[in-house]
Parts: sequence; C-alpha cells; structure tokens
Amino acid sequence: MNITEILLRLHQNSYYFFAIILFVIGFHTMLTHNNLIKKVIGMNIMDTAIFLFFVSIGYIRGGRAPILVPGADYLYVNPLPSALILTGIVVAVSITAYALSLIVKLYEHYGTVDAEEIMRLRGGETL
Amino acid sequence: MNATHHLSALAIVLPLVCAFLMPLFDRWRRGWCTPAALGALGFSFAASAAMAWQVMTAGPFYYRMGNWPPPWGIELYVDYLAVFTALTMTGVSLVILVYATKDLLHELKPGLLGWYYTLYLLLIASMVGMALTNDIFNLFVFVEICAIAACGIISIKATKECLEAAFKYLVLSALGSGCLLLAIALLYMVTGHLNFTFISQALPEAMRLYPNNILAALALLLVGMGVKAALFPLHVWLPDAHSSAPSPSSAVLSGLVIKIYAVALLKLLYQVFPPGIFEATPVLTILLWMSTMAIIAGSMFAIVQEDIKKMLAYSSVAQIGYVFMGFAIVDPSALTGGILHVFNHAMMKAMLFLAAGAFIYCTGVRRLSDLKGIGHTMPIPAAAFTIGALAMVGIPLTNGFISKWYLVLGALHGGQPVFASVILLSSLLNGVYYLPIIVNAFFGEPQGRVAEPRPLPRQMQVPLVVLGVGCLLFGLFPSLILGLASRASQALLGL
Repeated sequence: MNITEILLRLHQNSYYFFAIILFVIGFHTMLTHNNLIKKVIGMNIMDTAIFLFFVSIGYIRGGRAPILVPGADYLYVNPLPSALILTGIVVAVSITAYALSLIVKLYEHYGTVDAEEIMRLRGGETL
Repeated sequence: MNATHHLSALAIVLPLVCAFLMPLFDRWRRGWCTPAALGALGFSFAASAAMAWQVMTAGPFYYRMGNWPPPWGIELYVDYLAVFTALTMTGVSLVILVYATKDLLHELKPGLLGWYYTLYLLLIASMVGMALTNDIFNLFVFVEICAIAACGIISIKATKECLEAAFKYLVLSALGSGCLLLAIALLYMVTGHLNFTFISQALPEAMRLYPNNILAALALLLVGMGVKAALFPLHVWLPDAHSSAPSPSSAVLSGLVIKIYAVALLKLLYQVFPPGIFEATPVLTILLWMSTMAIIAGSMFAIVQEDIKKMLAYSSVAQIGYVFMGFAIVDPSALTGGILHVFNHAMMKAMLFLAAGAFIYCTGVRRLSDLKGIGHTMPIPAAAFTIGALAMVGIPLTNGFISKWYLVLGALHGGQPVFASVILLSSLLNGVYYLPIIVNAFFGEPQGRVAEPRPLPRQMQVPLVVLGVGCLLFGLFPSLILGLASRASQALLGL
C-alpha cells in the first residue's frame, strides 16, 4: 500500500480517524494530568470522541435526515446511532455535573484541585 | 405470557420508581421511607424467586419490553445465570438494607437517609437490570446508572476520604464506561444489531470480514469491565473506595457491585461472541493470568493492612480473582465454581463488612491490633466475623469451601493443575491474615473502648445472624443453590 492509498483511505474514514485521535487525547489527559478539572475535561473529550465515532457509523455520504413521508424515495442516514447517543450525552452531562460537584467539595476540604497535593495532604499514601 | 413473565420487568421498574419517591417521602412522611425501601427490595427479591421457580420448572424465557419484538424493542432474557444473579443481588442487598436502616443514622448527617435510599435502590435496580437484559445498549445504560449510584453511596458521607475515593472511582469508572461504549460502537458497526441474540448470529460472518473490529471491541470490553470489576492490576480505585464508605455501602460495593460487572462480561463473552473467538485470541488466557495475579497480589496487600476495612477491601481484590478464574478455565465445574462464588462471596464479604461496621459502630476502633478481646464483649459480630473469615479461607462446612472445591476440581479436570495450586496457595495466604484476627478476638484481653462497647441495636444483629446462618447453611447443603449455578454454567457452555 503506497502513501497516496493510505491518505485516500484516511480521507474516506476521516471521521473514525479523528474520533480515535480525540479518544486517545482524552484518555491521556484523564489519566496523566494532576489537575482534577483537567481530568474532567479529558473525560469529556473522550466521551465526545466516542459520540462522534458512534454517530458517524450511521452516516451515509449524501444521505438526508430520516424524515420519511409516503411516496418519498431517497437515501437517508441511520437514525438509531444518533438516538442512542442522545442517551450517551445525557449520561456524560450527569457524570460531569457530579464530578464537578465533587471537585467543589474537595476544594472546600483541601484548598486545592491538584491530585498530587491532595495525596500529600492526606499523608503520602500514593497509588 | 403469564404473570411471572411480567415480574421480570417489575423487579427492575418497581425499585426504580420507589427510588425517586424517596426524597418525596423524606419531605412529606419521613416514617414511610424505610418501609417503602424495604418493601421495594423485598418485592424484587420475591419476584426474582418467582422467576427462579419459573426458570427451573419451565425453562428460560424472553420478555419483550412494551411488547415490541426484537430487534426493535428491548428484550430481557431470563435464564439460569440471570435469575441466579438477580437472586443474589436482591437477597443480599435486602439483608444489608435492614442493617443500614440503623447504622446510617450515626454515619450520615441527619436528613440524608431518604437520599441514601434513592441511591441504594437505583444501584440495586440497575444491577438486576444488568443481570436480566438482553440488549447491549440497555446494558450500557444500566452500567452508567450503577456507576453513578455506586459513587453516590460513597460520597454521601462527605468526609475528605470519601470524597477523594469517590472522585477516583468516578474517573476510572467513566473510563470503563467509555471503553464499553466504544466497544458497543465497534460491534454495532459490523453487525447492525444491539440485541445479544442478533449480534451473536451476525458475528461469525462479521468475524470473517472485519476481524480487527471485533478484536478491538473485545479488548475494550475486557479493559472496561476489568476496571469496573477491579480486576488486578486495574483495581487501584477499590481499596480507598471500599474502606472509606459507610459500612453498608462497603458491604454492597464489595459484595455485589464488582461481581455484576464480572457477570456482565461473562454474558458477553459466552453468549455474544462466537466460540471461535477463544481459539483465535488468547482472551481467556489473559483473564486467567490476570485473575491469578489478583488472587496472589490481593492477598499479599491484605496481609500488610492495619485498617480492618482496608484489609477486607484488598481481600475483595483477591476474591474477584476467583470469580474470573472460574470464568476463564473452560470447564463446567470451574464455571459452576466461579458462578457459585459470586453468591458465596457476596454473602461472606457482606457479613464481614457488616461485622466490621458493628465493631466500628460500638467501639469506634478500626485498627486490627486494637480489636483484641472483642469476642468477649461483642459475641455476635465476632462470631459472624469468624464464620466469614473461615469461609474466606475455605474451611469445610462453610460456603467458601464449596466454591473453591468446584474451582479446584475444574482446574484439575480442565487440565490446568497450576491454577489448582494457585487456589490452594491463596487459601493459605487468606489464613495468614484472617486467622490472627480471630485468635486475637477470642484470646486477647479487651482493653480501652473495646472493653465497654455500646450495645448493638437489634436491626444490626439480625442481618449478621441471617448471613452467618446462610453461610453455614449453604456450606452444609450446597445443593440448594448449586443446581441453579451448574445449570447456568452448562447453558453458557452449550452442554
């Protein structure tokens, strides 16, 4: 497979490609950053990447919105992934809200949003 | 479709509805909260028992939510494994809830009890849902409800340790859910279905056309469920979360919540993926060695703990290893042992955490070395702790012996004697950290606060007695539950 073919493949599957790149960025941010807010941001990037991936499964190039009227005959996109991801978005929002409220409480107790600092204040037990 | 079939949906829906009525009752009629929560769980338990009867006499059945046929509607599949899991979840959680009604009064700030019941009922309903569902996206929704509710019953205590543990749990849990959702996307992409039955029909063909998709989905599932089930080395969140939470929460988290993810993974691996996947990929070998590491390392970590609840939490890391080991040795006896251990460990770990909670409630002591002589001043919790500890080690006459016996038989029969020796070695390790506590409790001189504990309320004594009797009963007469577990394993292996 030569370079133009790879680039062509990437172009054709660009949604999937960028979704995976975003997923890895989110995953990395979530696990490696000490700032708790950044962890939550990473979590959201990761979730959004999955949503992008999921919705693009249902997309058909040139497809229209799936509003079907009798007699109409056209190509339309698969509505199921979008409907599912609506649920996914609700879940992600609630987890974000919960995580942020925990951070507020943690800040009240420790006076910092840095995970390392919190570990140090707790008495050095690191994992 | 008879009335028992509808119970499968009601067992999930009723606790969900009751969960959201709790804050209302808390404002309006505070006295109604506890009976309503107990009633909802009691109904779920009775419904699970009725379903178990139906499945044992008439065989597994499907239930269509809202009467929409699959692949459009959500479907519940009530088979042996599902009723076994549902019975375990509802039964043990009901006993824990009885204990919680009294214990929480001193662990939580006043006015939070109604909210605790909300989270607790959501948690149990989502676990029953995970056990029964036959739809992969529905499974994801229940996983998310379970994740939030499980973090909620930790952070409701709002102390520094609980908040920090809950946040760590939440982040890693969200990571696991993300992996699960991506795996669902990859499976949906190549099969076009969300129903387990339809996916498993479409997978052999998809396996030939798009093997990479399915391999990636399998890896993501393994990581996602592994993080949530605290399979070593993905267990880092567990010790803090399970040791800092209120005692009833620890009991339900350690006894039930980590198991349900193992069961969900079992369902996906055996019911959805084609059997050829086990030859094509070393997924079971990976699980087997991860569980071996969990069993050894979890016990090693538990030995060095000073805090009683932290020790029990690390012991859970080891015990979940037994469950996964049973799932990964492809042998009917081992699978029976693994499934049976879900139930047995739920009972004994719940009892151990509740007994530890009783010690803390009455004396305020958490350090293991300070619990000398507790057997003289608090005989009932100490006796329960002893039964639980002996069951953990796997002494005959206790239920822990039965599941380990089947695991060892399965390992030998499946031609993998290494793992039989791992189980024996780990029983020794369990003895190393459980037996000194018992010896200390009964042969030490009580000092300080241990010498004069507060009286233990009756609501906290009864669950300990029930679980203790249960551990002995299922150790002496294992056939009560073994029939269900062995049929579940035979159905999964297609025998």
